[in-house]
Formats: sequence, C-alpha cells, structure tokens
Amino acid sequence: MSAPTTKSVTQFMDDPINFFGQSYTQMHTIARAELEELQREAIGIRFQQHHQSIEMLRKLADRLGITELGQFNDVVPLMFSHTAFKSYPSALIDKKRFDLMTKWLDKLTSYDLLSVDTQGCNSIDDWIDRLDEQTPLQVITSSGTTGTLSILPKDKRGAVEGMVLWKICLFQTFGQEPTDNELNPSVDVIWPNFASGKLGHLRIADMIKNGFTGGDESKFHPLYSGSVETDLMFLVSKMRAAASRGELDRLEIDPALAARKDEFIAVQLRQPQELDAFFVEITEKLRGKRVFMIGTYHLMYDIAKAGLERGVKNVFAKDSAILTGGGMKGVALPADFMDVITEFLGVDKIQVGYGFSESSTFHWACEEGRYHVMPWVIPFILDPDTSEPLPRTGRQTGRAAVYDILLRAHWGGVISGDEVTIDWDLQCPCGRASVAFERDIIRYSEKQGVEDDRITCAATQEVHNEAIDFMKGLDL
Amino acid sequence: MTRAVSAAYTVPLFLRGEVIADDLVSFGTRDGAARFQAPDMAKYVERLPLKSPGEMADLYDVSFDEILDVLEALGEALDFDSNTHLQEAYEASLVANVLPAEMMRNSYHVLRPIFSRQNVLEVADTQVGLDYLNGWVPQQLSDGRQLRVRAFGSRVLHIPAGNGGLVSAVTILRSVIARCDTIIKAPSNDPLTAIAIARTLADVAPNHPITKHLAVGYWKGGDLAVEEVLYRPQHIEKIVAWGGLASVKHVTRYIQPGLELIALDPKRSATIIGAEAFADEATLRDVAQRAAIDIGVANQEGCANARVIYVLSGTDDPGLANANKLGQMIYRELIALPPFISTPPLYPDRDLFEHLETSRMTDDFYRVFGGEQREGAIVVSQFDEPVDYSPMLSSRVANIVPVDTIDQVTRAVNAYSQTIGIYPESLKRQLRDILPLFGAQRLTSLGYACSVAVAMPQDAIEPIRRMCKWIVDEECDPGVVVPLWRLSQRRDPDLTPAG
Repeated sequence: MSAPTTKSVTQFMDDPINFFGQSYTQMHTIARAELEELQREAIGIRFQQHHQSIEMLRKLADRLGITELGQFNDVVPLMFSHTAFKSYPSALIDKKRFDLMTKWLDKLTSYDLLSVDTQGCNSIDDWIDRLDEQTPLQVITSSGTTGTLSILPKDKRGAVEGMVLWKICLFQTFGQEPTDNELNPSVDVIWPNFASGKLGHLRIADMIKNGFTGGDESKFHPLYSGSVETDLMFLVSKMRAAASRGELDRLEIDPALAARKDEFIAVQLRQPQELDAFFVEITEKLRGKRVFMIGTYHLMYDIAKAGLERGVKNVFAKDSAILTGGGMKGVALPADFMDVITEFLGVDKIQVGYGFSESSTFHWACEEGRYHVMPWVIPFILDPDTSEPLPRTGRQTGRAAVYDILLRAHWGGVISGDEVTIDWDLQCPCGRASVAFERDIIRYSEKQGVEDDRITCAATQEVHNEAIDFMKGLDL
Repeated sequence: MTRAVSAAYTVPLFLRGEVIADDLVSFGTRDGAARFQAPDMAKYVERLPLKSPGEMADLYDVSFDEILDVLEALGEALDFDSNTHLQEAYEASLVANVLPAEMMRNSYHVLRPIFSRQNVLEVADTQVGLDYLNGWVPQQLSDGRQLRVRAFGSRVLHIPAGNGGLVSAVTILRSVIARCDTIIKAPSNDPLTAIAIARTLADVAPNHPITKHLAVGYWKGGDLAVEEVLYRPQHIEKIVAWGGLASVKHVTRYIQPGLELIALDPKRSATIIGAEAFADEATLRDVAQRAAIDIGVANQEGCANARVIYVLSGTDDPGLANANKLGQMIYRELIALPPFISTPPLYPDRDLFEHLETSRMTDDFYRVFGGEQREGAIVVSQFDEPVDYSPMLSSRVANIVPVDTIDQVTRAVNAYSQTIGIYPESLKRQLRDILPLFGAQRLTSLGYACSVAVAMPQDAIEPIRRMCKWIVDEECDPGVVVPLWRLSQRRDPDLTPAG
C-alpha cells in the first residue's frame, strides 16, 4: 500500500474506493489535516465541474455571485434543501408531461437529458424506465408531504459503487486490512420488503441483488413478491396533500392506475400468506446460513416479533451482516426492541448506519455508537433557523448538512431536517480518526411535535395498503 | 409543567369576580422555556361551573338597557393608555405572540368601539333579535296554536383563538348579549386579554350578574385533570371552539347528548381578481394595494388573509406578463405597509422559505418577487396551477395563479375556505351563487378580507343564535287546535284484535 498523499486528488474524488485501497481502515485513519486539504481541493474542482453542467446550481451560484470555493463554509449558501428535488409542479405528472419532467430533471443533473424520448410515456415508472434505458441515470424517488415525489438523479455508476462500499463497511474489521473473503463475501440476502419497485429504497433491492449475489435470484429472499408502483405512491402523496387542502372530493385517479385496482388488491390480500411463507423459507432453507439483511429498526422489529411469535429465533449464522438504522421517525417501539431483534436474528453484531437519500452512502456507527463520516463527505453543523454554519471546533449541535464529493450526477451539497451533534475536537476512543456524528439524532419536525407524515421506506407496506384501501372505497 | 422557575408573568384565574393567583404552576411553550405561571386548575376546576343552572336566573333580572350600560362602561374603561390590565396583557402578548409590538398595541385600540351602545345593539338585533332576547315572541301557527319563543342563554365554554385581542372581546360580547354563563379557556398565545377585559368588567360592575357569570383561566389544552371534570353536560351545555385542528380534536371526545360543539374551524381564504384589474395603470395599482392589504394584515396569521390569488389574466404571454406585473406591484405594496398593519414576520416559516427559494430556481414554472430576507414574497405561477406547497402559505407569502376562464376560479374554493376577496364587484355578483356550493362562506370586496364586522354570520353559521337555547311556550286551545284525545274518540276505532 502506498501513502494516500502521493495519489492525486482526482482519484480521491472520482474513485475513493481504490484511493483508500478498498480498505475501511484506511478510510478512517487518514489524518484529519491531510484529509481536509484533499477535501478542500476536491470541493473546488467539483464545484467548477457542476457549475458548468448543472443549471440549477449555476443559477444559484451566479445569483449569489459565487465563482469559486476556497473554504469549506463557502459551499453552505449553495446547499440545496430537500425541496430542490421536488420543485417540479406535480400537475406535470397528472398531465403526463414527461417531456417537461425531463427538462426539469435536466437542470438538476450533470448529464444531458435533452435527447431522452418520452413519447407515449404513461406513468412515472414508465418514465423512470426510459431514463434507465437512455441515460446514465438511475433515479431514486421518495414521497413527501406536499403531494409531490422527490426525484433524485442518481446514476448507475454510483449504485455500483454504493454496494461495494456497503460490503467494505459491513464485512471488514476496523484496524485490519481486508482479506479476499471480506472483499468477496458469499451471503444470501434477506430483503424484508417488496421484491422490486422503482420507488425509493425498493430500488436498492436490485442493487443489493447484483452487488451481493451477482444477480443470483436463488440467493435473494424478499418478504413479499411483486413490486410497489411509484405511481401508486404518488397517489398516496396526492391524497395526503388533497386532504390537507380540504379537496379530497376532487381527487382524480389516473384511469390507467384505476384499471389495475383488482391487481393491487390481490397484492394486498396475498401479504399474510407471503409472511408465513417467508418464515418457512427462513427456517427451512436459511437456518444457520450467513446472510445480509437490511431494514429500518421498525421493519426489523416487526419481522423479529412475527418470527418469535412463530417460535423462530437465532436463525442466522453468527457472522451474518445486519444493517439497520433510519432513526425512530415517529414510530413508537418498545424499550426492548433491540433485544427482540437480536434474539430473532441470533447474530454477533448488528450494524447501524446514518445517512440520507441525497448522499452517496451511510456513515457507519462505531463501537462507541458514533456515526463516523466517510472521508469524501464533509459534514457541517448549521444554525437550525438561519442555516449559518456553526464553528468547526468544540461540541456543536444543530442542523446536519453535508457536501458529498463523490456525487457526480447531482450537486452534493444538501441540508437535512435532522438535529445532530459533532464534537469536532474529539478523537474517538474507537480509534477511527474521522469526524463523527454523535449517537442522538432527531428530526426537527419530530422535535417540534409537528406531525411528520413523510412516507418513509419504513412505512412502505402500510402506505401501499393505504392507497389500495382508498381505491377500494372508490367506484372506479 | 410543575417547575417553579421564574416565569415572565402570571395568568391569574378570574373566577366570577374574584381574582386568584395562588397555587401557581409554570407553563412552557414551544421552545421549552417557562413563559408564564397560572393557578393549578386541577385545584379550582370544581369551582369553575355554576353549582346549579338555576343560578342563571339573576341574568333575567337585568334589562337589556342595563346590559348596554354595563358594556358601554366596560368599553370606555378599555382605554389602552389608562387601563393597567390591558397594558399588562400587552406586555404578556409580546412574549407569547408571534406578532410584533406595534400590531399588538393596535389590536387593543379596537376593543373600545366593540362595546359601544350602537355596536352592541346592532349585533344583538341582527344576530339574534332583541325581542327574542328580552321576552317571549308570540306567533300563531296555521293549526291555531299560539307560540311564544324566547332565546335563553346557556352555560358555554369558550376556547378562543389567540391571534389578537379582538377574539376575546367578541367572545365576551356574544356571551353577554345572549345572557350566557361563560367560562373562557385563555389561549396560550394571548393568555391575558380575556382576563384583562374580565378584570375591567369587575372594576366597572362589581358584583353585577354579568360579572358573576364570567370565569376566565388558563389550563393546558388536553389536560385531562381539568377537562374530564369540566366538560360534562351537567356543567356546560355548549363549547365554542376556535382555531387549530388539534384544539378542536381535543374537544370532540367530550361531545355527547347534552353537550354541543360550536366549531369555528381553522379556515383558509382566497382571492379572485378579474381581468378588469388590468384596465389601466391606476386601476392596477389600486388592485395591488387592496391585495397587499388582504395578504399583509397582522402578518397573514389570520384565517381571513389572502393566500392563493387567482387572476383572470390569461396564460398566454401577455397574460403572464400582466400576472407578473401584478405580482411585482403587490410585493411593493406589501413591503410598504405601515408596521401597525404588517411587518416582516418575526418567526418566518423556514420550510416555506425553502420551498420559495426552490421556486425561485425553477423559473420555467414560477416567478418569485422578494423573499430573500424572509420579509414576505409573491410567487407568480407561470401556468394555471397553484404551488404544491400552497397549504403552507403564511409569513406574508402569497401565490398568484393566472387562469384563462372563469370556470377555473372555483378551484380557489374548497371545504376549508372562509373568505373570498373578489375584484371587481361585477365578478363577485357573477360568482356569489356558485362559490358557496364549493365551500366559500364570505365574499367580500378586495381589500376588506381582514376588515371583519361582528354583526354578521361567521364561518357560515350564526354563532350567537347557536349559543342560545330556543325555548318554545305553546298555548293550545282545544276549541281551536284539534286535540289528539278527541281525534281517537271521533274515529271510534275497533281495537279488538282481528280473528
């Protein structure tokens, strides 16, 4: 292994995995001063690239008179809030103006989308398919409160890198250089969700399947067969928005979606049997096997509880990789929820990650419970109201924001809705040299007691049912 | 809640003439800091309601003329410059309320005319009818019976909104007119105004029945120790609940036979502007000024404020140019409003301004005027749909939506609508028979949305009539009204079972 300093900033920002020799340990032992120098140089270069190629960023920078980035804090006024990725009028989807949707998305990505053919495009999923086929993009959607879906222009290259990174973080041990076995682990994947779908985190299903099993369907074990339609989720968002406006009576359902009502209801009716079948498969085929399983606390708890109720426990091999997280997001879990999950899984360790959809990857929790920030991500703590950056010294609590150098397809500066704490001067006893978010993270919306009705991946199944129940009640 | 820390001020309990400031507990607010202290209502809740409804009899010994005298004296004593209770309420509201000082002070200047003889008479006569309030109103029905109808007061609990002192004053005015026994749960964002009015009433009319039938205090909305004891049909007959969904939802669980809810629900208002606005420069400026007032009054905190503004400008290029020009002019008028009417919001909604900044970058679809200092803004849609975040519009941010035809403006109105400000009058007349079907409750001239009178229905109901119990005294002369017993004799039915 050669010292990172001799390598170029280009490799650091475009191929950090190999820059750090595919080693989780190297990623978290690079000296802070050295890393910050690399980051400062990289952020300046990425800004110039994206200023050229992303119209939305260029407009903002030009309006603010920002032509270059010297210090970390220079990027803060250029950060996007979550609203940027849902700033299209939702009427465009109702009216099936996917040509204009493409034009809108073109201004948010570094790729040129103007030659995309959307002729005859009939649904969001259809449009996403077109983008998949005709561009380097692999967009991720998620639903929000204002009747629109966020549409993140992620790319295929990032998806592949993301899975490599997950494996690095899941299977390697900090302090030890990776073995061949750790770099190429053989596992079955447990996916406690719908098998596929273009919507949000369901898209990860395919990425995991390819990244962890090489696309081997026999090693991929979803809870439910079938997929969740993005268009159905858009309907749920619209329903919520219509309800908040007092206009539920005027909600119009796309006839193409309405025509498939019975199909959706069948999916819903199948769920209890599929849940039973899932546990049979786990106990009969996968007992004692090494697996990778991912899900939010809420999802993990539900599965574990259902398993224990069926007398299923200690199911997987001790060296299985389990990834959870996602915050509590307004879901009340019993105090012993982690014991329930542990008893069911029977594995040695359960790993926890923190991140948000806009970022390139999660930040993994160490033995001390701190989320260590990956080296190509620059964290910021902002004043929660004014978004002014707080000092990068001492212990600071405020709104989390990050600049993610690895993001090439879209602008990497985002402001979150989370309250976080960073102790900037701390050298974590775990041995990692990197900056870390402290364990306690809470959404500001929860803190203020505001009802947060964002549809998260944790609620996918419930929300799916909510939409179908609504359609059942309609004379379609 | 029970932290005995130094609170900014005390909200005493006004109990039928007696002012109690003992057994104090502290109350925090959204940022967790203790803002005020008030008597622990769990200790006093048994004393809040009347012991017996019969105790309301003394209200009927009071003539309406005497009511007018007392209210007039109350109004005269509600002089902000000399009334220490009001000054104290004002100081408290500076801590508790989101509105700036000039505006809060101004809201106390409107109290006095509310209680003027002329206003009270107009409200009483048009909103109930003096005859019904003061005696039995006779009427003969076609079957010959003599009816006499009288409006009696009831035992009412009020949960008023806290935006401005006006709501507390109107609450007391309505209750006194209807000869109600009144308990007011003071709002946390204006905890002292109702108490200040009550204490002033006790100063001008000590031991008067009107004073003895008024109680005002604070407890936290949803406090079961208070509400489960008080919200029962044996103590109160009606609950008048204003404002937020949460507060109304708290109350609905107590609604049962014998305890009725009069809901003055959370509402939103809209604006419709006809193509006539663009007739000439002077007209456009007038329209912009009127619209700016409807948006800006009391910083758009009220239900009557303008938010989404439909404009019949058309959506072709000249139409959009007109809509954008109007947007820019409204913005200029908005920020020029004097501080006692409107200011930049003290606590701008961060999420809303994030959406606004994003709209600014999405200039294919939106044009944004102002907002960079979170001082207020106008977003002009460049097509015929409102912004997706329209339910969030507040902090002096409004959305202009250009439309091509009059059919499209009904979209401005829905189940949550209250006031629709319309320009010009001819357009209002054209729309007034159709908009109520969609939910509009009040149609008014552009520029008057927040200029609200008391002598008219509110939220599509007549609150004072609802607060009354409408009692019937029938007199039936068997020689005129055919009695049922004679009906059965005359028919001489065969009551023996068949077979």
